[in-house]
Amino acid sequence: MNPKGLQVSTPTDTTIVLTRTFNAPRRLVWEAMTNPARMRRWMLAPPGWTLAVCECEARVGGALRLAWKSEDADPVMTLQGKFTEVVPHARMVHTETMVMGSGETIGSLLETHEFEEKNGVTTMRITQTYDSKAARDGAVASGMENGMEAGFQQMDALLAQPA
Amino acid sequence: MVLDRSPRLDLVFHALAHPARRAIIRQLSGGERNLSELASPLRMTFPGATKHVRVLERAKLVRRRVVGRQHLCRLRAAPLKEATLWTEQFRRNWEARFEALDSLLDQMKSEEQSRSPRR
Repeated sequence: MNPKGLQVSTPTDTTIVLTRTFNAPRRLVWEAMTNPARMRRWMLAPPGWTLAVCECEARVGGALRLAWKSEDADPVMTLQGKFTEVVPHARMVHTETMVMGSGETIGSLLETHEFEEKNGVTTMRITQTYDSKAARDGAVASGMENGMEAGFQQMDALLAQPA
Repeated sequence: MVLDRSPRLDLVFHALAHPARRAIIRQLSGGERNLSELASPLRMTFPGATKHVRVLERAKLVRRRVVGRQHLCRLRAAPLKEATLWTEQFRRNWEARFEALDSLLDQMKSEEQSRSPRR
């Protein structure tokens, strides 16, 4: 069981901070978050969508690219970014932009991940810094819309798989 | 993108985005306080504290009443609850992903153990 659930705070007008602990050493958390084959296992797509592209090169200048395809229409949603700072197992910083199928960009942010390990438990802190308060608020709002229900359904399926 | 426009929540988040105002809210969670009582632990002047209380009043987080020379401040909980609810949905959405990550990590740990049985 996880020692502590996710905590979300909004310390300033343009940031969201997510803190979560994982019952695993940080090198494994790092691998799960940077190795595309591992990422595909937990980056859940909304219902009716599939994760078509998952690329991640965790080195300075390396690219991050995730693309989701819709099953019943053309839309493709792409999340792309570039790593600006990488200290393996400890810290990574990357830019992040969401591009819609139409080419419209909806907001860009800087995401910092920090990992600390104590007695085999890793605390991860993600700081998302948005360009503006409106963009920050929009991210929280879309997080609401993206049906948590769907996330839970997929999680059930994943949990039901033999470990 | 459809932005979630809520000027009222904007005021609430702006009000909460300052450590002094969060400290005032913490103090007020213990009950009604005089403004000068709020100012002293923050090492603030009366006008300084008044400025922060005004921001909290605008967000409808605090109600102030003047009794003689005393400015009594009291917490209004409803906007805070709304703000918590707002981030709570966002939190759950991410938590679902991280719970999937939990089970992946469990699997990675057992894979590692079976590879090196002496550890």
